[in-house]
Amino acid sequence: MREIVAMFDPRRTSVGDSQILTSRGRLAVFGLIVLLGVLGPVVAIVEPYWLYILVQVLVFALLALSLDFVFGYAGLLSFGHAAMFGAGGYSAALLITEVTPNALVVLPVAMLTGVAVAAVIGWFSVRSRGIYFAMLTLAFAQMFYVAAFADLPATLLGVESITGGDNGIYGIALYELIGIDLSDRINYYFLTLLLVALSLAFLVRLANSPFGRVLQGIRENEERVAFIGYDVRRYKVVGFAISGGFAGLAGGLYVPFQSLAHPQFLHWTVSGELVVMLLLGGMGTLWGPMLGAASVIILEEMLGGIAAWEVILGGIFVVVVIFAPRGLAGVLISLKEDPRNALTNAKNAIENYVRKVRGKS
Amino acid sequence: MVDATTLIRATLLGLQLGMTLALVAAGLTLIFGMLDVINFAHGALYMLGAYFGVTVATELGSFWLALVIAPLLVAVVGGAIEILSLRPLYGRNPLYHILLTFGIAIMTQGLVVEIWGAQSLRIQVPDALSGTLTYGSLSYPVYWMFVLAVSTVLIGAIWLAISRSDIGIIIRASAHDTEMVDALGFDVSRVFTGVVVFGAALAGVAGVLLGASRSVNPGMGFGVIIQAFVIVVIGGLGSFRGAVFSALLIGLVTAYGALIAPSLTDLFMFALMAVVLIIKPSGLFGATEAA
Repeated sequence: MREIVAMFDPRRTSVGDSQILTSRGRLAVFGLIVLLGVLGPVVAIVEPYWLYILVQVLVFALLALSLDFVFGYAGLLSFGHAAMFGAGGYSAALLITEVTPNALVVLPVAMLTGVAVAAVIGWFSVRSRGIYFAMLTLAFAQMFYVAAFADLPATLLGVESITGGDNGIYGIALYELIGIDLSDRINYYFLTLLLVALSLAFLVRLANSPFGRVLQGIRENEERVAFIGYDVRRYKVVGFAISGGFAGLAGGLYVPFQSLAHPQFLHWTVSGELVVMLLLGGMGTLWGPMLGAASVIILEEMLGGIAAWEVILGGIFVVVVIFAPRGLAGVLISLKEDPRNALTNAKNAIENYVRKVRGKS
Repeated sequence: MVDATTLIRATLLGLQLGMTLALVAAGLTLIFGMLDVINFAHGALYMLGAYFGVTVATELGSFWLALVIAPLLVAVVGGAIEILSLRPLYGRNPLYHILLTFGIAIMTQGLVVEIWGAQSLRIQVPDALSGTLTYGSLSYPVYWMFVLAVSTVLIGAIWLAISRSDIGIIIRASAHDTEMVDALGFDVSRVFTGVVVFGAALAGVAGVLLGASRSVNPGMGFGVIIQAFVIVVIGGLGSFRGAVFSALLIGLVTAYGALIAPSLTDLFMFALMAVVLIIKPSGLFGATEAA
């Protein structure tokens, strides 16, 4: 599409101050990536188990990023991103076990699988809007889940096993990449970090491009964008497919690391948890949801040993949504803009809450 | 082979499942229609109904008391949720309700495990309702007939109330245009609380009814919620009539689907929803009417 090409045009006009991540924000993200690059080797020596958590954090951050690009930025409320995540994962699992463990082959294929699945789901789903769109994407994702769980492909093709049914595909080897030993977990971590960073850079660029502006315009006022002459449905499908590609990539990174492709990866609870990460982090900011994903994964890990961990986690969601309307990203932005009034703001939020509960809005 | 007896049995099962699901979906669709809230906690309320039912039935030794008291307790919980957490969020992007109600659902699940434990429980069916009905080669549990009868009567009563009574008119009007009802001088916030309380009680009834024929476990809330959403969406969000109609549809699809391919019943359900939404993007009874 014209706009995607134009995005890389150095002469393109500035898009003003409403863009995602200002130069200072970019610096902060860059600093965070460098920090994570240093943190990996340290963690690998001190507590190798936490390296495992870090990879999980990165994968889900990528997934949340891909979802936010359509959900928060284009207003396409996808409740079926597990489909692209799982499809990418399953295609990676099948390629590694049957063909080659070469990352340069498998990861692009996982990504393309995500694009293809998203294009199909998107093409059908963009006919509906809002919550109906959400339920259509959910329906398709759940159909993928049932198909993988009952190993429908194998039944249709008359072979013994393809998806492995409710056992999934297990014992998947780690990637090979020319000259780099990826069975060394720290190298796998670096690869994941690099790909997540590149994905973030690409999607931020895309969001700030004319193409991204059109998507944002569709979120704000679909009729008006259509009226100007843009083919709204086509933009939605293309945006959804791009997002699906990154979800597929996340699946392709997750499956070999877990050494497992399981129907559970396709289940609606994965999509649901993703939406929760998004709202917790602050949707529409691209970086907020990544933060949300990291918080949820780390919280689940830390609380896992405590008896009533679900109560605490659920309680955190409730408190954040009531007192921090724009998620964690909103809290960080207001702290940065106005650090001295943090206490007053918190007091106002509580007073506001009490007033609303009493019904005097 | 599928013979007449199996078919009749499946039909009865489908109707029973559909009517109990309608009890859950009715509250869900009314809450969405009026409050714009996507209530993920509705499954948790259904689950609470079953657990309260277990406790009341064992402590007081009466299924009948459980059937009355448990839904009332769930209604109180529903009211507390509305006043303490939904109310402060009205007027904000409805998407945030997802995070809120998801959080409440997880909390409830955790609390249930803390209080009642993770193992499966069951509500004792009273003697009067145990046993099976036999008619020719068809045998069907008495209790299941009872469940079908109770939920049908309840749904029928609500249908009448919504289409005939004054409160029903206000409810339908609020689902259609909240601001206008507010402007006409009705206390909309009280109607909101009322709808959540009422929807919670219905989910509680469904919980008790099914808690005696299936197992009561901490996963049942999340198990029912997606099915209920599918029903609400097929029927058209906010439409009570649509919810009842599509609940019966889904109940029958599930029951007949189990005869054809038990592992694929969910596939049939979601395929049905996809087809309906592709043909009619706002559900069967959606958008053009409110109730």
